[in-house]
Amino acid sequence: MNTERDSETTFEEDSQPNDEVVPYSDDETEDDLEDQEPAVEPEQNRVNREAEENQEPFKKDCTWQVKANDRSFHEQPHFMNTKFFCIKESKYANNAIKTYKYNVFTFLPLNLFEQFKRAANLYFLILLILQTIPQISTLAWYTTLVPFLVVLGITAIKDLVDDVARHKMDKEINNRTCEVIKDGRFKVAKWKEIQVGDVIRLKKNDFVPADILLLSSSEPNSLCYVETAELDGETNLKFKMALESTHQYLQKENSLATFDGFIECEEPNNRLDKFTGTLFWRKTGFPLDADRILLRGCVIRNTDFCHGLVIFAGADTKIMKNSGKTRFKRTKIDYLMNYMVYTIFVVLILLSAGLAIGHAYWEAQVGNYSWYLYSGEDATPSYRGFLNFWGYIIVLNTLVPISLYVSVEVIRLGQSHFINWDLQMYYAEKDTPAKARTTTLNEQLGQIHYIFSDKTGTLTQNIMTFKKCCINGHIYGDHQDASQHNHSKAEQVDFSWNMYADGKLAFYDHYLIEQIRSGKEPGVRQFFFLLAVCHTVMVDRLDGQLNYQAASPDEGALVSAARNFGFAFLARTQNTITIIRTPEGNIRLYCKGADTVIYERLHRMNPTKQETQDALDIFASETLRTLCLCYKEIEEKEFQEWNKKFMAASIASTNRDEALDKVYEEIEKDLILLGATAIEDRLQDGVPETISKLSKADIKIWVLTGDKKETAENIGFACELLTEDTTICYGEDINALLHTRMENQRNRGGVYAKFVPPVHEPFFPTGGNRALIITGSWLNEILLEKKTKKSNILKLKFPRTEEERRMRTQSKRRLEAKKEQQQKNFVDLACECSAVICCRVTPKQKAMVVDLVKRYKKAITLAIGDGANDVNMIKTAHIGVGISGQEGMQAVMSSDYSFAQFRYLQRLLLVHGRWSYIRMCKFLRYFFYKNFAFTLVHFWYSFFNGYSAQTAYEDWFITLYNLLYSSLPVLLMGLLDQDVSDKLSLRFPGLYVVGQRDLLFNYRRFFVSLLHGVLTSMILFFIPLGAYLQTVGQDGEAPSDYQSFAVTIASALIITVNFQIGLDTSYWTFVNAFSIFGSIALYFGIMFDFHSAGIHVLFPSAFQFTGTASNALRQPYIWLTIILTVAVCLLPVIAIRFLSMTIWPSESDKIQKHRKRLKAEEQWKRRQSVFRRGMSTRRSAYAFSHQPGYADLISSGRSIRKKRSPLDGVIADGTAEYRRTVES
Amino acid sequence: MKRGSHDCQSRLPDNTALKQQQLPAYRLQLTATIILSGFFITGVFCLGVGVILLLSAKNIKEVEINYTEKCSDCAKLRENTANFDKECTCSIPFYLPEAMKGDVYMFYKLYGFYQNLYQYVLSRSNSQLMGIDIKDVSNCAPFKNSHNGIPIAPCGAIANSIFNDTIVLSYNLNSSMSIKVPMLRSGISWWTDKYVKFWNPSSQNLSSAFAGTAKPPSWPKPVYELDEEDPENNGFINEDFIVWMRTAAFPTFKKLYRRLSRIQHFTEGLPAGSYSFGITYNFPVTKFQGEKSVVLSTLTWSGGSSLFLGLAYTVTGALTWLAFFAMMAIHLRLKGRKTLFHQE
Repeated sequence: MNTERDSETTFEEDSQPNDEVVPYSDDETEDDLEDQEPAVEPEQNRVNREAEENQEPFKKDCTWQVKANDRSFHEQPHFMNTKFFCIKESKYANNAIKTYKYNVFTFLPLNLFEQFKRAANLYFLILLILQTIPQISTLAWYTTLVPFLVVLGITAIKDLVDDVARHKMDKEINNRTCEVIKDGRFKVAKWKEIQVGDVIRLKKNDFVPADILLLSSSEPNSLCYVETAELDGETNLKFKMALESTHQYLQKENSLATFDGFIECEEPNNRLDKFTGTLFWRKTGFPLDADRILLRGCVIRNTDFCHGLVIFAGADTKIMKNSGKTRFKRTKIDYLMNYMVYTIFVVLILLSAGLAIGHAYWEAQVGNYSWYLYSGEDATPSYRGFLNFWGYIIVLNTLVPISLYVSVEVIRLGQSHFINWDLQMYYAEKDTPAKARTTTLNEQLGQIHYIFSDKTGTLTQNIMTFKKCCINGHIYGDHQDASQHNHSKAEQVDFSWNMYADGKLAFYDHYLIEQIRSGKEPGVRQFFFLLAVCHTVMVDRLDGQLNYQAASPDEGALVSAARNFGFAFLARTQNTITIIRTPEGNIRLYCKGADTVIYERLHRMNPTKQETQDALDIFASETLRTLCLCYKEIEEKEFQEWNKKFMAASIASTNRDEALDKVYEEIEKDLILLGATAIEDRLQDGVPETISKLSKADIKIWVLTGDKKETAENIGFACELLTEDTTICYGEDINALLHTRMENQRNRGGVYAKFVPPVHEPFFPTGGNRALIITGSWLNEILLEKKTKKSNILKLKFPRTEEERRMRTQSKRRLEAKKEQQQKNFVDLACECSAVICCRVTPKQKAMVVDLVKRYKKAITLAIGDGANDVNMIKTAHIGVGISGQEGMQAVMSSDYSFAQFRYLQRLLLVHGRWSYIRMCKFLRYFFYKNFAFTLVHFWYSFFNGYSAQTAYEDWFITLYNLLYSSLPVLLMGLLDQDVSDKLSLRFPGLYVVGQRDLLFNYRRFFVSLLHGVLTSMILFFIPLGAYLQTVGQDGEAPSDYQSFAVTIASALIITVNFQIGLDTSYWTFVNAFSIFGSIALYFGIMFDFHSAGIHVLFPSAFQFTGTASNALRQPYIWLTIILTVAVCLLPVIAIRFLSMTIWPSESDKIQKHRKRLKAEEQWKRRQSVFRRGMSTRRSAYAFSHQPGYADLISSGRSIRKKRSPLDGVIADGTAEYRRTVES
Repeated sequence: MKRGSHDCQSRLPDNTALKQQQLPAYRLQLTATIILSGFFITGVFCLGVGVILLLSAKNIKEVEINYTEKCSDCAKLRENTANFDKECTCSIPFYLPEAMKGDVYMFYKLYGFYQNLYQYVLSRSNSQLMGIDIKDVSNCAPFKNSHNGIPIAPCGAIANSIFNDTIVLSYNLNSSMSIKVPMLRSGISWWTDKYVKFWNPSSQNLSSAFAGTAKPPSWPKPVYELDEEDPENNGFINEDFIVWMRTAAFPTFKKLYRRLSRIQHFTEGLPAGSYSFGITYNFPVTKFQGEKSVVLSTLTWSGGSSLFLGLAYTVTGALTWLAFFAMMAIHLRLKGRKTLFHQE
């Protein structure tokens, strides 16, 4: 499923090689998330998942052997892999990393090899080789070589700069130091000297140099805190813990030096969160998992020092294994451009073939009889024609623009920088500028049809604030004070009595405070006690200030709420506890979770169950995120019994996780409901405005979220995706529609279904505003996902007979066809709706939806999200955008663009995307035009020179035309041009549709450009021809000599193409003006130099045009010819543009025309809006979701098993040091 | 990931006009006023230039006499290469009804002679022609060396095929007496050609300078005997040779042959009357269906008598005006139309 989808991420169906054959580690997290989905999905889905899990070929072979403090062990011959023929290399990489590609010696060959892998470069290489054959060489050697070298050189320099940076980085990293045991003592060693099996010591704030097994640390229980920002971007602290026995015995230097443990574990892989292995030491086997491993790239925090054993070094480490190749996305224009280059190539071959035939004919008719042309060889005319074919391939090679690809890259790089530099996409609060992480997709931003948006953190701020709570059935948090009187003016609760309050919480319910301070209500106390202890938050003390580091913002919000209410969580010396022995001596299980999960596990006798349910519904309708809190008293005996089972399960060697889950299941039942919390997640600024702007730009927005249907609907209204007059369809409605459609299609098509052209008939009557809200399970139902999965299971059984197999493949094929039809119908239906909201969808489904639209609509898609669950979708869409916000960096890491706020999307698309698209289109059109205008003059000339592949220009001119005389203006236009300003682009989103409809660059436009080029070349050739044919110069010397003719055409060409780009440029900055006139001046300057006497004396055969420029260009007749040629080339273009602008003005023409008026209008409006702003405050909208916000550890209860000592000891250890600050 | 307060706002992009894409710029807009006035002015300019060019071309007097057919005997003789050493002359009388005033130039004109063929154009040695290395014939295939391996000077196909007819113009003062019209054989090439591109190898006399080289196969005489009258016009710097070596762009071309020396009867130019061309017919053209003619012409500031440019300018001017009126009409008709655009 996954590989299938990835291979289709490329724009067209033609499959690109898949770079990602290794399964990514986020596939794993995705499954984890799926597991925690509330169990509301239909029963069939479970079957699916099991089927998937069964199929997953996950081998847990432990073949990686590491012996501590024994380097010679790893050099044994059976660990050697043969590389090449005889060179043997250890399978254990050393710790020196090598991210650079080249060294001094390999740079030139390797880089050239890389570059010649590109088709265009190879083409020019072949041309160069052709040019070395004297019989067919028709251009001087430098005409192709010089531009080609410049192009190669620019790319090589770029690569070199990149590689030097990598070299420096590598060197810096490899030369970092840490302490390694050598000869029984810790000695400082460089990172690159570390090897597998070494025991190392790390200090606070050190980077971990390799993947190491934590042996012991300075902290109690050998805990070790790490920051994993470099791995996953999350800045919160995570903790790792050493094994009990290594913790006990390996604290001293000498004991570490004699440590002789032997580890067997899995081979190096890229799964950051998985590790399986066993440590054999002192004749006992200890199971190892990811919680004992410190990964390279982490930073040691809050831990004075720790010791570890290197398991994977250098290239074997998980971070290095993860830095695999990233998939290469290409734009629609890229594909189009390539096809156009192929078209041009075909044109080139046809032209050459035609001219070659012409030459053969001419030779037979004229050439053979011309005594003066005797060449000394008696070749037949057809052989001469054959040679001339290659000669023309060389002469006309400039039809394929040599600098096209380099220029496109330069322009895209520039566009990306403009995105990075944009102040209006800079989010000051987080100091985050927008970032274009790829530089190849910019113009595609101007062609987006569908946006798929995550909700939490993307549309909403993902800043959680504790808003309300329900304790024992009573709702707190509305505006009320202690005396139960509602005041019109809400007064914020004063937390100053609490020394730990952070003063950030705004709470309006004074009654709750009263309750807490009085201490009368045990439920309230317990409620906040639970919030204060049951979580995974880490505490950091900075100058006496408490600083919470939470894995999820929900947790942070709850713990800081508890802190503000007087239940401050001060320090953690052990892991989170969910089972606690209260001061009174009872053992109590605390637990919090989503309502659906908790309600399943509640005790039947729960007095406040109904009230809490009501409260939850109220909270949900206010779009708050809810969580249920509950507890359970456990008998001493029961606990001991359970603890035994737990210990047994936790050391089980097979299916450990499952066994543990079962044990947890056992104790997490019959819970007593304590209450519920409600957290607010506000919509980000400007979301509704952005959405309405984008939909005016004819972009369809689909929201894909894990929320409940009701919440999703509320969010839809809040961000104005849905309005009062929208008809909302749900899964069941459309299922019926799709079903009848399917029936119809089957009836109509019958056997010939494939041959009946698809008739597009709308599903809904036209008119009216429709929206679709569909849940993940309905999605599966409708798209027949489950059925195919089932058939997959069936397939596993081996078919017995040939007959059976055929039947099976047939039915499978039929099923596939049906599924495809159904999917297509669904996409058609969904696209008829103005808004689509998919709720309760898994990350995989998110990606699937994106893929469906991509596949059946052939539209450009953009996915935007912020969390790990969006990674799949982001990678699938043509363009992935990551919101760099609260939830880690995973989405950002896999995205193509990132910024901090959803509202910047409108600027990214409507301004940068649109500009980039227009610039790129104009650039490409002009580029093809200028090369055709330039090259085809040779073609016309060949009719007058016996098709002999004579060029119409001087060789130096051909060499420099693309390089110097015509490149800069078009490059600058591609970088700077703006048809309308950014403000107007945003104000008129309708301007965006040109990109969606491919109006500015398509095959028609391409051929128009070519035709323009062809006509220009005709004018450029035939006007000078007419002028020269009969005349002589004013001094009687013939200006009809070849060299003067070449200079005349070249001058006319340079002036024409540079004026033409001037016409195409709609935004004339001084740089543009400078480059256009500069190019013309440069042409004349260089020409006069190359035609000077001095250079001819030095190189008589390279510079043959001596004196031509000065002699030809002093004649008024030639100037008049040039002027006429330029005028005839440009006047029709101007006339046509003017007429089309007058008769069929485009949207941007109109806006441009009324620019001044619009500007004035805008200023007037702005003045007006100043008055309005203060009065209306939009009702703030909220959102909530049921994502598992908690760190993995706690939600599965895995942390419990960290306890090795009996429970009494836990408290003695000072587990979760917690202090009541309320005097009760 | 955490950043202290010291580097706060460090990632703030620069607020410069370039980076914010706010460079001051002129928005090019094709407004009706600019376009229409531009077209009008261009039309006026083109028509003006066209008329001037046509008028000045009208003033030019030109006589062209095609002597391919007129000297058919000689042409036949030359078709056989065996007769290369047989001299053939032919006289072509003609009558000039009007005097040609001012400077008169004599050209020879070839039809169907492909002096622009790629291989032909390449076949020359610039370093030899500059007198630097007389024996450098590397680029001159197929005329590098003579049969016995001696390098040819001047080598190459261009030099070998030099136009070697001799044309002498005579003026019939009266029915019985004719005088030779004095013609200059210098000043017919570009200064840069004569003084930069072509130099004789330095030596005391020309024949020793060219010692060790052979004459081109089609030449009757070696290069240092090209001009028997003027020793300064010999060798590579012979102007007829230089003119020939500047290859033509098209298979039909004119090359300057002589200038009228305005002395005696001819101070005003060529008077009306009867003349005759005395032609020593050497250059074979009938083999490749070519033709040759001799042209007498006066010149103006714009060169020769071509009507093309003048006509082209006139037509362009007329069309521009036509376009101007059409665009004006369309513009005026659509001016009242309300331009609607989607408001936000």
